[in-house]
Amino acid sequence: MFNYTFQWKQAMARLPQMLDGAIVTMQVAILSMVIGILLAIVLTMFRLSGIRILSAVAKAWVEIARNTPALFQIYMAHFGLGSFGLHLSPFLSILIGITFNNAGYLTENFRGALKAIPDTQTRAARSLGMGAAGAFRHVVLPQMLRISFLPMTNQMVWAILMTSLGVTVGMNTDLYGVTQDLNALTFRTFELFALAAVIFYVITKIVTLGARLIAARLFRY
Amino acid sequence: MKSTFAISLLAAAAAFAAPSHADKLDDIIASGTLRCAVVLDFPPMGMRDESNTPVGFDVDYCNDLAAALGVKAEIVETPFPERIPALMSGRVDVGVASTSDTLERAKTVGMSIPYFAFEMAVTANDKSGIASFQDMKGKTVGATAGTFEAIALEKQVKEWGEGTFRPYQTQADVFLALSQGQLDATVSTSTVAQSNVKTGNFPGISVVGKAPFDIDYVALFTNREEYGLINYLNLFVNQQVRTGRYAELYEKWVGGDLPSLTVDGVHR
Repeated sequence: MFNYTFQWKQAMARLPQMLDGAIVTMQVAILSMVIGILLAIVLTMFRLSGIRILSAVAKAWVEIARNTPALFQIYMAHFGLGSFGLHLSPFLSILIGITFNNAGYLTENFRGALKAIPDTQTRAARSLGMGAAGAFRHVVLPQMLRISFLPMTNQMVWAILMTSLGVTVGMNTDLYGVTQDLNALTFRTFELFALAAVIFYVITKIVTLGARLIAARLFRY
Repeated sequence: MKSTFAISLLAAAAAFAAPSHADKLDDIIASGTLRCAVVLDFPPMGMRDESNTPVGFDVDYCNDLAAALGVKAEIVETPFPERIPALMSGRVDVGVASTSDTLERAKTVGMSIPYFAFEMAVTANDKSGIASFQDMKGKTVGATAGTFEAIALEKQVKEWGEGTFRPYQTQADVFLALSQGQLDATVSTSTVAQSNVKTGNFPGISVVGKAPFDIDYVALFTNREEYGLINYLNLFVNQQVRTGRYAELYEKWVGGDLPSLTVDGVHR
């Protein structure tokens, strides 16, 4: 049933444009991870703070981020906020959508990591004269980040793949957006998307292998 | 001796078993169903009525084609970017999907002669102060990804060297973004522009003028090598005009001056 002549040359001629798109994809993914990790640390502290309103904020964030589709979160960042007159560019919409998602998932990762750190460590730190904040910052936080390093890599891969949802909010500079633009122009659907898939695969593979190398070097006991 | 006999028996069996060459036109007639790719997010060409049934110019056109072939029509909803994958993966036989017949695309799929022609109109958000096509220079403009007007507008924005172009996935998203003020203006077919402004779903926008793009001729499409079917489609389009059915459908779904499907000074 499938009869189609593949014209790889036509797709390869567009490779430079697609690689430019891959750079934008990486920018979005890296930014969303950096901001997402910072937000997740803040949300984790909210959770630990014992102040009811703050832990409620953290809880709501995690619940919404984890239990609604990423597509919905990105759509809301663009059209949802747009209906209140707050107009974000496609780049910002996708960045905010993915960052929101990242922060939610990472907060949950951090919770798991915290459970792996014995309470006695905090008590020992406090008995050495550290304040609550000092104990968290110097004793708990570094271990928490170490334990959740590989899950974070997972989220990074997820963030890279989620950038493809940007097309729903008018993004046309990332890898997926560029591919779809070229597809409309040439109708060379299969070649272009196969090429995009290979690029996505290579990027995520580099990220996971790189993270494993870093982990092996940094976290030797 | 025995083995020669067995071999010749096998060969004879293979000759009968091998399918005689049937082209796509035969396949459609044999299967009794014509599967059309139609974009249902593109009023008045393709949309859904209150009971969620597909209706529109393209839907009627597919029904007419099926009737001419003596088969049942099946409307397969395909968003703009998914028309070609739907055809190539064998989910549909023919595209009746307002597809612009660009030379670039004709390298991939087989196009019939034009069955419809669009003029392009500029629709703007009332607060943007845009009153003509030229006013769009330097503004944030958008269109539906994968359409003729999106390709032309993106090229125009690049030529102007200022302003931003944003493609959205569906026509509804474009008009939503326009109504919210995320876009200052859009270029769409005048039929789509009129029907979207008329719905009242998108307040604060109006059609402000024509866009000086070429007339957008759209064609039926199928696999490039299916000459038999393409021939049939060409004759079908011709007959639709000749019998007055084209004018009838145009009056029913669009109204106004019937666009000519021919170009002066060239054979076809």
